[in-house]
Amino acid sequence: MFRDRRGQFVIIAVLMIAVMIISIGALMHRAVTYYRHEPWEEYLALIGNIELNSKRLVELSLANYSHTLNQSILKINLERWKTDIQNIYVGRGVALNYELANRSYNVDGIIINYFLGLNYSWLKPKSFTAANATFTLNITSIGLTGYKFTALAFLNLTILNVKANNINVTVKVEDKIPVAGLGKENFQVKFGNTTISIVSVKSRYDSKEALIYIIECAQDISSTPVTVEVSDLRGIKVIAQYP
Amino acid sequence: MKATANKGQMRVVEVILASFIIMFAITFANIFAVTPTSPKYGATELEKLGYNALLDLDKQGLLTAFVYRKDWNNLTAALKVVLPMDVYFNLTIYYLNGTIVNKEKQIFYGNIETFFTSKNVASVTYCLSGYYTKGKAIYDPRVLVLRLVRG
Repeated sequence: MFRDRRGQFVIIAVLMIAVMIISIGALMHRAVTYYRHEPWEEYLALIGNIELNSKRLVELSLANYSHTLNQSILKINLERWKTDIQNIYVGRGVALNYELANRSYNVDGIIINYFLGLNYSWLKPKSFTAANATFTLNITSIGLTGYKFTALAFLNLTILNVKANNINVTVKVEDKIPVAGLGKENFQVKFGNTTISIVSVKSRYDSKEALIYIIECAQDISSTPVTVEVSDLRGIKVIAQYP
Repeated sequence: MKATANKGQMRVVEVILASFIIMFAITFANIFAVTPTSPKYGATELEKLGYNALLDLDKQGLLTAFVYRKDWNNLTAALKVVLPMDVYFNLTIYYLNGTIVNKEKQIFYGNIETFFTSKNVASVTYCLSGYYTKGKAIYDPRVLVLRLVRG
């Protein structure tokens, strides 16, 4: 009787080993698939591509707006971009939505009343041109929904003072970051309707303003209101007037 | 005597059965096995390289400048710099309507044969929204298709 049971024990032991092997196999499968390599960096680059070029488009639209004052240019461009993005990444299920700023915002202490994501305030000692749009990106192929980013383009020109034939100005972008690398070709000085020729544009460091541009004009302009126009490297224009 | 002999045969049968069960278990477990391909030579790794190369150039403002100025020589040189030496590339730039922008000059590095013979050819699609030239800010998208292969 005892000898008969020993044969059964071998079968039971082997069955248990088989169950263990299958269990370990299943566990290993789960572990491998759970930690399977996902090309996140590729997705990040795709998101980066769309984000970077959406922000660039807001800047381009603002540059266009500052030259034409076409209030609907940002909306037109973003509507086209939204459709084109879907077509370019047709297999990936990319959907880009946007919302244009349509209320008052405080940007670096300046109140900006946006309409269709755009606004400007010119012919003041502190003048600016600004654009603001918030995007929502969905990429269904990777399960990404509701990725939000804001594109803010801003250029501020401040005339600090006018002394004889020198005009001291600051040019700043978002977060009060001074714009470097501007030259004679970026500025225009007007005295009424007359354009004053610029002799030179120099810059110097200032502890308060960080970077100050000194525009040296060909004639004395201290007695009457003077208009300074700047176009930065993105093509965004601002016109300021002093006093 | 006969009963003892039968018992011996049963042992053999048991061992055969046990072997079959173990073989079956191992085969069944192997079905679940996921063999990862070498990430170093996989297409995914190349796609990652390609995307990052284009994104880096775009962040620096070089990609837009080269593409819209049709400066293909500098674009080829820039891609050679940002991509590893053993990665061959073939970049085609399209207008939105599908027409090729760089018809007159191929933006290419490496051996063209490799693109047909290699198992891992990666393809990366990148888009640009527009550009600014003096006094003009223009919305004019370009689609860049970068194909990569290891040499």
